[in-house]
Amino acid sequence: MSEKVLIKGNYAIAQAALNAGLECYFGYPITPQTEIGEYLSGEMYKRNLAYVCAESELAAINMVLGASSTGAKTMTTSSSCAVALMQEALSYACADEVPVVLVNVMRAGPGLGYIYPAQGDYYQAVKGGGNGDYKMTVLAPSTVQECIDLTYRAFYLAHKYRNPTMLLADGLLGQMMEPAEFGEYPYPEVDNSSWALTGAKGRDGRAIYSLGACEEKQIKRIYHLFEKYKQIAENETDWEELNTEDADILLVAFGSMTRNIKAAMNELRKEGIKAGILRPITLSPFPTQRINEISKQVNNIIVVEMNMGQMVNDVKIAVEGNAKVDLINRPVGQWLSVEEIITGVKKVLENSYASV
Amino acid sequence: MQVFKIPDSIKKDSKYTFCPGCDHGIAVRLVAELLDEMNLTEKTICATSIGCSVFLYDFLNIDCIEAPHGRAVAEATGVKRARPDNFVFTYQGDGDFASIGLAESMHGALRGEKITAICINNTTYGMTGGQMGPTTILGQKTTTSPMGRFVDTYGYPIHIAEQIALCDGTAFSARVALDTVSHINQAKKALRKAFQVQLDGLGYGFVEFLATCPTNWKMTPEDAHERVRNEMIKTYPLGVFKDVTSD
Amino acid sequence: MEQNFIIAGFGGQGVLFAGKVLANAFMFLGNNVTWYPCYGAEMRGGTVNCEIVISDEEVSSVHKENADYIIALNQLSFDRFLSKVKSGGMMFSNSTLVDENKLRTDIEYLSAPMTQIANESGYSKLANMVALGALTNIIPALNENVLAKAIQKVLEGGKEKFFESNLEALKLGIGCLALA
Repeated sequence: MSEKVLIKGNYAIAQAALNAGLECYFGYPITPQTEIGEYLSGEMYKRNLAYVCAESELAAINMVLGASSTGAKTMTTSSSCAVALMQEALSYACADEVPVVLVNVMRAGPGLGYIYPAQGDYYQAVKGGGNGDYKMTVLAPSTVQECIDLTYRAFYLAHKYRNPTMLLADGLLGQMMEPAEFGEYPYPEVDNSSWALTGAKGRDGRAIYSLGACEEKQIKRIYHLFEKYKQIAENETDWEELNTEDADILLVAFGSMTRNIKAAMNELRKEGIKAGILRPITLSPFPTQRINEISKQVNNIIVVEMNMGQMVNDVKIAVEGNAKVDLINRPVGQWLSVEEIITGVKKVLENSYASV
Repeated sequence: MQVFKIPDSIKKDSKYTFCPGCDHGIAVRLVAELLDEMNLTEKTICATSIGCSVFLYDFLNIDCIEAPHGRAVAEATGVKRARPDNFVFTYQGDGDFASIGLAESMHGALRGEKITAICINNTTYGMTGGQMGPTTILGQKTTTSPMGRFVDTYGYPIHIAEQIALCDGTAFSARVALDTVSHINQAKKALRKAFQVQLDGLGYGFVEFLATCPTNWKMTPEDAHERVRNEMIKTYPLGVFKDVTSD
Repeated sequence: MEQNFIIAGFGGQGVLFAGKVLANAFMFLGNNVTWYPCYGAEMRGGTVNCEIVISDEEVSSVHKENADYIIALNQLSFDRFLSKVKSGGMMFSNSTLVDENKLRTDIEYLSAPMTQIANESGYSKLANMVALGALTNIIPALNENVLAKAIQKVLEGGKEKFFESNLEALKLGIGCLALA
């Protein structure tokens, strides 16, 4: 399957999951990601794989938790307000160290919001809406090709680290078509025989649980989890960088918004404004260290996102005051155009020169 | 002659932490005896729940996944669909199964999931200290119905086994009690059937155990079992409400 | 350089299908391309549209505020999208169903009786392919071969039997604008 095909992001994610060895899918319909479940219902039936139309997202994510606890490659896909319903189980999955793969094709919020594309679930994904100290691994594709590549990676990372891994896409990526290549699933299979529930044959029973009735054990558990998160950060933090070597200003965006800032960067460079780009591919772990390094070299850092300013705060933490950090944003709907971004950047520059 | 033996599927070093007179201990033992007798221990995966029933994995030497409150049937569905050759059961309280988890519990039955669900009905939330639950009987005083459960404010209790029997995917649904030896024997028979329908691929097996909670009922174990006989069984009649193998 | 197209019409006119054919054709011609539909409740209001962007680099914004070419298959689409044609761009409409209201003077207008041509030849649902055929006269890079290959691609997976009729309608489209 090395031929380029014109394919919708949602179908690309679904097919990539099958290529990655998906064994079980549990889901509930919600726009703009319903095609994933529709596509998989037929394909998984043909392949004799487990597919359940769950009664709710709450049930779906808990079915995922059950199936994942047996070591099976399992996925659910959903969107924003319905991912909100799953937060309790995601906290459990982190505590239980169960390899859940979850796709959020973001729509607009808060509340019911609408099906317009948006990036308002950055906090939900990265900070978590569930209880307690935990971190999911979060990957953000910017093209349909990356919907495939990062779905592959999500399965690998989820199983390698036994940590819930989310593909955070947006309605635009889910609905658009773009040429992409599937290739083969590029990662090795992860051995889960040391922990998966298979029935206690020839060994003692195993319990996967997060009840922390013993304080000492509970403290140990949390330190263990955070030691693991540190490892994930060391090994798996990923980002894309363009023209940062000589940049005076750094544009930061994630997901499909990156497409627009790339075009804006090219235009700005034509006008002699030395702009560079950093795009986090892993939102969690966040490329904090690299942004900190670049912040010592540039004057301005401008975050462009389709929300009221969420990732910008992680950028500010990374920058530690080394550069001025500004935000160009809109909450939902029509993506900020290249022209709007250019105008916004120029405005920021005028203001910062004025303040010098 | 040996008259009693600790089932092999009970952990050797385990000590029940249930309150004196609590029927959880009997229910767990029946589960363990049947896992032994039906040779299921090595292929079993259990979805435990939240409440006093959460401690199951401390007592049984089997694979367990702890489900969030109310989601045991959803978790069991995931386990069974992923590993259809395993034997999968849930062990839940009435609040877990029939209040917060009613949707999952019933949809599992409607889909005819080939799992067995066990619900321990003690008419109260035991672990949190005796609040009103979905099966709290009319007139029963709890910490959140201090004047007694009356309909205007609190609505009606749910008859779980009858409701589950109405679902087309249910293969077996019964209500049993643990207050006398003969009831315990009947309970084991029912549970065996609820296990067997799963093994035979017939659908959802369900058993509701009427059980004591002497601590929160503020009764002696003896009085608590008296209450099961005089009050609970009158409200929640024992019996088999569906059995697809009996026709 | 980027160029974008919006195809718009009412449900049943094959707007999304035509867009997929066009996007595949551009992909076969070696362009970077994206296809983006209106989706959700908008679809139930009766009008449907999709946007195709082509570029020699990675496509930037896949959903732009205006377009170089707008293909309007019905009146509602013409009226709605007239203001979205880029200055110097083109509004290409289906004259069977559209009264051209040339309110703007900074764009080009072109029309063909797409539905009429399709109906007269017995391909009543294929005004969309007539439109794509006609487009070969406007966009020099497009031709019958590449569009035929694209139609074949989009019909893959069970709809192959519609290939001949789509191809015939495409050919009629190629001819119609040459005559006009």
